[in-house]
Amino acid sequence: MDQLRNKTAVITGGNSGIGYATAADFLAKGAKVLITGRKPEAVQQAATALGGEIDSFIADQGVTTDSQKLAEYVRDRYGKIDILFVNAGVAAFESVADVSEASFDTIMNINLKGAFFTVQHLLPLVNDGGTIILLSSVNAYSGMPGASVYSASKAGLNSLGRTLSRELASRKIRVNIVNPGPVATPIFEKSGIPKEAVNEEQMAKALPIGRIGQPEEIAKLVSFLASDDASFITGAEYNIDGGISVHPLIG
Amino acid sequence: MSSLKDKIVVITGGNSGIGYATAKAFLAKGAKVLITGRQPGAVQKAVHALGHPAEGFKADQSDMNDIRRLYDYLQGRFGKIDSLFVNAGVAKLAPFETVTEALYDELMNINFKGAYFTIQQLLPLISDGGTITLLSALNAYSGTPNATVLSASKAALNSLGRTLSRELAARKIRVNTVNPGIISTPLLEKAGLPDEARTHLSSITPLGRLGQPEDIASLVTFLASDDASFITGAEYNVDGGLMVHPLIA
Repeated sequence: MDQLRNKTAVITGGNSGIGYATAADFLAKGAKVLITGRKPEAVQQAATALGGEIDSFIADQGVTTDSQKLAEYVRDRYGKIDILFVNAGVAAFESVADVSEASFDTIMNINLKGAFFTVQHLLPLVNDGGTIILLSSVNAYSGMPGASVYSASKAGLNSLGRTLSRELASRKIRVNIVNPGPVATPIFEKSGIPKEAVNEEQMAKALPIGRIGQPEEIAKLVSFLASDDASFITGAEYNIDGGISVHPLIG
Repeated sequence: MSSLKDKIVVITGGNSGIGYATAKAFLAKGAKVLITGRQPGAVQKAVHALGHPAEGFKADQSDMNDIRRLYDYLQGRFGKIDSLFVNAGVAKLAPFETVTEALYDELMNINFKGAYFTIQQLLPLISDGGTITLLSALNAYSGTPNATVLSASKAALNSLGRTLSRELAARKIRVNTVNPGIISTPLLEKAGLPDEARTHLSSITPLGRLGQPEDIASLVTFLASDDASFITGAEYNVDGGLMVHPLIA
């Protein structure tokens, strides 16, 4: 249970959902963890609840100057890091006709541009042999009505992961992408989608496995990819979705 | 780790390479393992090297009678099993024009038909909530010259994994497929690979080395464990980045 002992990890958007569960799993496996988030109280509360070798930093990953400040803080605090989990993301669901430029920019700025510059700014701090994990979504490969911008932002993120896996291979930095299916997280509420608009029961029926995922289940895969057990895995895109991405065609 | 304690795992083609390394990893995590193989001497030697509680059974996974005998044996010995790792496979390369019907049948019979009926016959023994993991290859998605039959057999195997993930979901049996890149195994030697080719293959893999059987074993044991409880119908590459197409490089 000390697979990540002596490793230092940065998790963006770590105060709730998958980021939080992953922080807890990393800590349980012996890592030092820094989480970021936009809201000081939420981040502080999460850090207190996580306890142990935790630290936190207030940053909006959609703002590139925040990424820069984060990099400066991380350099002063740890010098180098081993694991970067780019997890911060937002979702919004509306038909193409209804998407405003502001909504388009918000999603793309956090999910793709923010991820891009978070990686760029933190990269000098990632040790050779370190690892970067991008949290995407099965939307990167789906054609889900109402998710045009979200899906495109995630498709762009997967593309970034693939390119980075080859660009950073000479430094032995492994870059992988995790595509969760429906998971019980506050991303919908936090993105301003009313709870009643998200029918979890109906979603569960759409999954072969008959239920939506839990953040802890995603955390286990992220921890595995961050560990030395995954030392030959890079440039990979792993679905973790209860089978939903397997197209049944009929049925 | 602890989630594999006392789980019963069957590994086809387990006396060398990835099958053997995976047997070792399962044992280290507390599982009971039975490996199969075609050559009695090799199976026995592997079981001895693996140590208690490893067991062996002589079976050619492309032979329907052997598969039925394996079923009978497992039923008598364990009753139920928790995980099946369909690993037995062969790799042979030949230019398309020279592929004989015999070569075609050999590869398809072991890599696909054998896998198909191994699962079909053993399925009644797999506990609800159990797992099936298929060992495929990047070839399932590549266009590697001289690998027409190997690649088609592996593409068919991935297809089977996808279909089974939906067919067996009602029983909560998770089915996943692992696509290794170039791994240093006896299979490479059996395919007749010269040393220069090995150096070349390392250099084209972004991480700059061939994979080791243990690299695959750690992913297979992860997928078989409760840590992977939301993962089914997935196809995971473990290839040092080889499958990411650089277009020009």
